[in-house]
Amino acid sequence: MFESFVEGLFVVLQWQPFLIMLMGIALGFWVGLLPGLGGSTTLALMLPFIYKMTPVEAFAFLLGMHSVVSTTGDITSVLFGVPGEGTTAATILDGHAMAKKGEAGRALGAALMSSLVGALVGAFALALAIPVVRPLVLTFGAPELFMLAVVGIAFISSLSGQGGRALLRGFLAGLVGLVFAMVGQDPQAGVQRFTFGQLYLWGGLDLVPVLVGLFAIPEIVDLAVRGTSIAGELPQGNLGKGAWEGVKDTFRHFWLTIRCSLVGTFIGIMPGLGGGVAQWIAYGHAVQAARDLKEREGFGKGDVRGVLGPGAANNSKEGGALIPTIAFGVPGSSAMAILLGAFFLQGITPGPDMLDKHLTLTFSMVWTMVIANVVTVAVSFFFLNQLAKLTLVRGAVLIPFILFLAFIGSYTSNNHLGDLVVFLACGSLGYVMIRCGWPRAPLVLGFVLGKIAENNFYISTIRYGSSWLLRPVVLILVLLTLAVIVYPLIRMRNRDATPEKAA
Amino acid sequence: MERFSANKRNAWMGWTLLLLAIFVGTPALVFGAAAYEGKVLTIVVGYKPGGGYDRYARLAAKYLPKHLPGNPAVVVQNMPGANSIISANHLYGVAKPDGLTIGTFNNGLATAQLTKVAGVQYDLTKFAWIGSLASDAVILTIRSDLPYKTVDDMRKAKEIVIGTTGPGSSTHDFPSILKEFVGFNFKLVPGYSSSADVMLAIERKEVDGRAGSYDSIKPFIDRGLVRPLIRSRTASPGIETLPVDEDLAKDAKGKAIMVVASASTKIYRPYVAPPGTPADVIKLLRDAFAAMAKDKEFLAEAKKTKLSIDFTPAEESLKVVREVLNQPPEMAQEIGKYIKFGE
Repeated sequence: MFESFVEGLFVVLQWQPFLIMLMGIALGFWVGLLPGLGGSTTLALMLPFIYKMTPVEAFAFLLGMHSVVSTTGDITSVLFGVPGEGTTAATILDGHAMAKKGEAGRALGAALMSSLVGALVGAFALALAIPVVRPLVLTFGAPELFMLAVVGIAFISSLSGQGGRALLRGFLAGLVGLVFAMVGQDPQAGVQRFTFGQLYLWGGLDLVPVLVGLFAIPEIVDLAVRGTSIAGELPQGNLGKGAWEGVKDTFRHFWLTIRCSLVGTFIGIMPGLGGGVAQWIAYGHAVQAARDLKEREGFGKGDVRGVLGPGAANNSKEGGALIPTIAFGVPGSSAMAILLGAFFLQGITPGPDMLDKHLTLTFSMVWTMVIANVVTVAVSFFFLNQLAKLTLVRGAVLIPFILFLAFIGSYTSNNHLGDLVVFLACGSLGYVMIRCGWPRAPLVLGFVLGKIAENNFYISTIRYGSSWLLRPVVLILVLLTLAVIVYPLIRMRNRDATPEKAA
Repeated sequence: MERFSANKRNAWMGWTLLLLAIFVGTPALVFGAAAYEGKVLTIVVGYKPGGGYDRYARLAAKYLPKHLPGNPAVVVQNMPGANSIISANHLYGVAKPDGLTIGTFNNGLATAQLTKVAGVQYDLTKFAWIGSLASDAVILTIRSDLPYKTVDDMRKAKEIVIGTTGPGSSTHDFPSILKEFVGFNFKLVPGYSSSADVMLAIERKEVDGRAGSYDSIKPFIDRGLVRPLIRSRTASPGIETLPVDEDLAKDAKGKAIMVVASASTKIYRPYVAPPGTPADVIKLLRDAFAAMAKDKEFLAEAKKTKLSIDFTPAEESLKVVREVLNQPPEMAQEIGKYIKFGE
């Protein structure tokens, strides 16, 4: 096994796969930056190019591209408040808030460094999980997946503000998110829900127009109203020099970054949880790191930990998502579903063989993810401080550009006018929510987890009756749910008793 | 000599074109022998990039130029939504019938038309059909470690749990019709987010089996995870000898429903042009598809990328569509109970 591990590295470092990987990385770099181009769509479009490649080259190309998309997607999220990818929306909350405070460089540094850490953790998890991957994935059936979704939804308690009123608002926003998730044809009886006779809504609401609307439009309006640059009228001393500070932040909060990476990996491993989920749970977990009320209030206003959490998780989940894809031929995310097509194109059947006969190839994928992220982060650091200066450009100049990106980004999800309607409607909703002090994160959490919770609850009940409630993993997850809900409260109480000093 | 005859041919074609223009009108003027020269042919796909429909269309886009006069550029346009009804409506009512737009959509759209699904604006019989690039068998598979090796074994089973992605997909409709009209003790568990997820549920023994496209289950049969037990009428190499659902039906009604449900698998990857596309243009397209389906390079690439090719010409495709649509209204209603069409 160790032999394959080393061999996998050397295979990737041969000049041909390596060059092809660099091409993939360059492509992924731009795909991540531009909100209109999604990682999975681009993967699909690139499939025809791999026909003539060897398996190692093909996966160096595809994975090289895919594994940097979330890394550079964070850059767009931080700078403009427009999610560069559907998977990098959570970075906006604190990342863009930091940009507005004139700390764009620091936020970018933190986002990139945590992405790198996340990617490394994800890759190593993939390598370590190889011997135990089958029992691990097989433990999680429909009941366990349902409970995982519940654990996720429980994070609403830490994503809402403090106090009963704020908590109520958080849960109401979460419920709206659940309703969003219900739009479309339900998979149990085939009944149309909330589709209002529109064919467009049959397939449900798409993640991208909802997220882009919810987050980008309020920022655009805000920028227009203020009439300044993104970073406002702040003194412009070390704006461009903050990137290194962000790197240091990653190591200042190293355990948080690692924990969020692990959260991302784990969610990636679970097939069917989807790529949008990891970042939000990681964000919820980062918020829990707040030591006291004042710190808690800083989240959403530019706390660097709110960047580190999702930054790490949206990269580490890719390593995790590869696990079921490789071991079972069951994709862990939509991008992996397309990657699965690539396996077949290459004449390889994913499954137990990948952990045995093709082990070197499997490890070459691990190494591709590692190298691709190291290269991207290293290259990005050359530009970071320049990129950060974009936040000093006058709003009037930036707004048309951002608006254009946001519109295109939404429209490309279905190439349908309905995408724009959803985008604008969610934009208005997002703006009203901000003005009235309602949190948006719980809504998104409800939206991304709603379908998972519903379907798996249904499957569990119809398959096992009520006996699934007593499955051991389910019980553990019930306890975890309680912990997630109670944890912020206990933390606050402790603070009253023994005030800690911020490290 | 060569040159002379070419010139002569051109002159002859010029006259033909002129005559055609006089008799048929302007569209024909656009389409002569070098009809597609400098033009762009668009293939509208009713799904997002990456799926089966998209992959077939992109393969066709690569090889069609070679077989069309004038070697046009061929591009793919994805128009996802409502399980491709949106794209079918577009091709039917919006796209210009000038031969520059063709499209591919769900093979089950005939069922949607038959059962009068809300939102359907097209009439499949009015499209200018080009043909279908592939056929596919729907099969039912059961986990290999279970003792069901034949249909009779299954009949005796107390309960067999079948995982599905929900009504409207073959993973659900096929076993649900078998349950109703053959009398198997199936327990259907719908709600898995993809057929791959059902496969994983089989692997962890949450469900006992699944139905679906033979092409997509084949890797798992080869791996020994599941064994095929029943197929629909369209056979594929390797499963010809499996019992066919129609032969197992208890009554005529059940059999008729099975016929309708699986008729369209014969035209698994249908291609059409908008209604009213001029006949001569359609002929060019039909010939191009037929020639492409015999093209060795095309077949080699299709084989490599695991896209099976089984071309059905326009006439025959339309016959399949008519077979589905020519049901008496009361039958259509019955069918609607068992075959849902949706996302």
